[in-house]
Amino acid sequence: MGMREYILRRAISSIITLALIIALNFFIFRIMPGDPTRTIVGDVRLRPETRELLRQQFGLDKPIWVQFILYIQNLAVGNLGVSFQYKGTPVTEVIFGRRLTNTLILMGSSIALALIMGMILGVIAAWKRGSKLDVSMLTFTLVAYSMPVFWLGMLIILFFGFYLKLIPLAGTVTPGVEYSNFFDYALDYLHHLIGPMVTLTIIDIAYYFLIMRNTMLDIFTEDYMLTAKAKGLRDRIILFRHGMKNAMLPMVSVIALTVIYLFGGATLTETVFSWYGIGRLTYESVMMADYPVLQGIFLVMAIAVILANFIADIVYAYLDPRIRY
Amino acid sequence: MTKLEIEYLLPTWSEKLGIYRERVRNFWKIYSTSKMGIVGLGLVLSFFIIAVFASLIAPYDPYKFVGPPLLKPTESYILGTDHLGRDIFSRIIYGARISLLIGLVAAAISVGIGTIIGLTSGYFGGFLDAVLMRITDMFITMPTLPLMLILASILGKGLINIIIVISILYWTPTARMVRSQTISLKERPFVEASKAVGCSDLRIIGRHIAPNVFPLVFANAIITIVDAILAEAGLSFLGLGDPFQPSWGMVLHYANLAGAVVHGLWWQIIPPGACIMLLVLGFALVSYSLDQILNPRLRKR
Repeated sequence: MGMREYILRRAISSIITLALIIALNFFIFRIMPGDPTRTIVGDVRLRPETRELLRQQFGLDKPIWVQFILYIQNLAVGNLGVSFQYKGTPVTEVIFGRRLTNTLILMGSSIALALIMGMILGVIAAWKRGSKLDVSMLTFTLVAYSMPVFWLGMLIILFFGFYLKLIPLAGTVTPGVEYSNFFDYALDYLHHLIGPMVTLTIIDIAYYFLIMRNTMLDIFTEDYMLTAKAKGLRDRIILFRHGMKNAMLPMVSVIALTVIYLFGGATLTETVFSWYGIGRLTYESVMMADYPVLQGIFLVMAIAVILANFIADIVYAYLDPRIRY
Repeated sequence: MTKLEIEYLLPTWSEKLGIYRERVRNFWKIYSTSKMGIVGLGLVLSFFIIAVFASLIAPYDPYKFVGPPLLKPTESYILGTDHLGRDIFSRIIYGARISLLIGLVAAAISVGIGTIIGLTSGYFGGFLDAVLMRITDMFITMPTLPLMLILASILGKGLINIIIVISILYWTPTARMVRSQTISLKERPFVEASKAVGCSDLRIIGRHIAPNVFPLVFANAIITIVDAILAEAGLSFLGLGDPFQPSWGMVLHYANLAGAVVHGLWWQIIPPGACIMLLVLGFALVSYSLDQILNPRLRKR
């Protein structure tokens, strides 16, 4: 099978998954208890004329399959409805704004940090299997895995925020402060970023470390590693050029999976730290029964993940031609 | 051979029992050499004991308002009281029951669903497999926590609803694993032989494939217990748990409502979270050591 055919097959499979998710996303919000039309427009927080407009746009007095077609049509032009909690603001405006930026910064920085540290530690631990470093990293991994992430966040705020006063207790920036220049603003922002970023990094390192370590242990049994050793290459070259390069293969699909968090944020961590991002928006929307916003968040996350998986599949096939057959 | 002669060759019940006892003894011999496994088992068992004897250990009724609200730790209230004047220590003791109950029941249901879907998908293949695997893919692609929040808010707050929500969302890893194992077992000679002598599909699955998949399912079940305990904690912390049950996540939720973090009320924060961590760590250690035993590839190295 050629590369083109492979890409085509993956594309079809991704589109089917996307279609299923869009359908599920549509129906899950129609099976809400009570009158289904109420969850879309019946909210008293909206003005009557907005409600009437939505009723027409989404055909809420028509049969459900007509509604489904209208939903798809609206989706195609980027109309995701309006938010209840923000009194009629379009869902796209609520999601694609400050909140998405904040989430991308928080998730991007913590995932990158955890990925780099987890991978390097994983390689070293696998190389020195059973050493003090390996055992202590494994113990750390198990403990980090067992900790509820929101509790770790609470502990970090308690110790570094309340007792040591090193980090702020909540928020994305200090409320009510006028910044004289961008630099001051950035500094305040970064100061607030430390807490949630460290929390997520600690939890994620454990995850990447374990995958990298186990992949490397598998790779050490491969013949090419023995060959590299027999050639008299230095340890560092064997490890990073021959070993780590091959371990990147499984990492590609692992990285693709993290995209869901990149866009979706971390609901628990963002809630604990009052971080103004998508994760907290999800939580608030659930609490406020803001179904259109939830539907929108789901869709954005699903598209991001499917796209990421599709790209990962192609990268994977490019790096390892065996996959295609 | 006549039927009687065949029965003579088959092991009797007492012999079978002996074989199982021998197996368990051998298993324990390997398991008990693992320090991690023993520590894990110890942790899990201690929480079981706490859960069973909760009413004897806890000094107060965890559901009743027994003192003034937001008390600091004193001699009569070891960990103080929450914002409604309930004894936090007693609530944490009873919390072991909730966590274990939810962990075990939700894991059993979701692993059950996963096993059935995995067996069906792997054994029958074809169109059925394609459909079931697409559904599995879809569940894997959906973000777990937000989906859990929405389902929990649709179903309403309650222990049974939390168990349903977790069960619906955590069956996918088991399904995938059982499926791939089933596919490889399907090609083995003993399955072909049973097909040749005319065994029904149900019998082949039940007698020949399922028992061989079981160790894998068992190892997976423990990880699912961990996931379920953490999921309940997260849901409860966000206020979607059962408000009438003193679960650890609920204690942390009320602590957060009372501003425990910003006021430095550590006694409301550290003990319940530590309990979650230790119980989960216990199960994780057991699962880790089981993996070392059941996975021969790891044992060799």
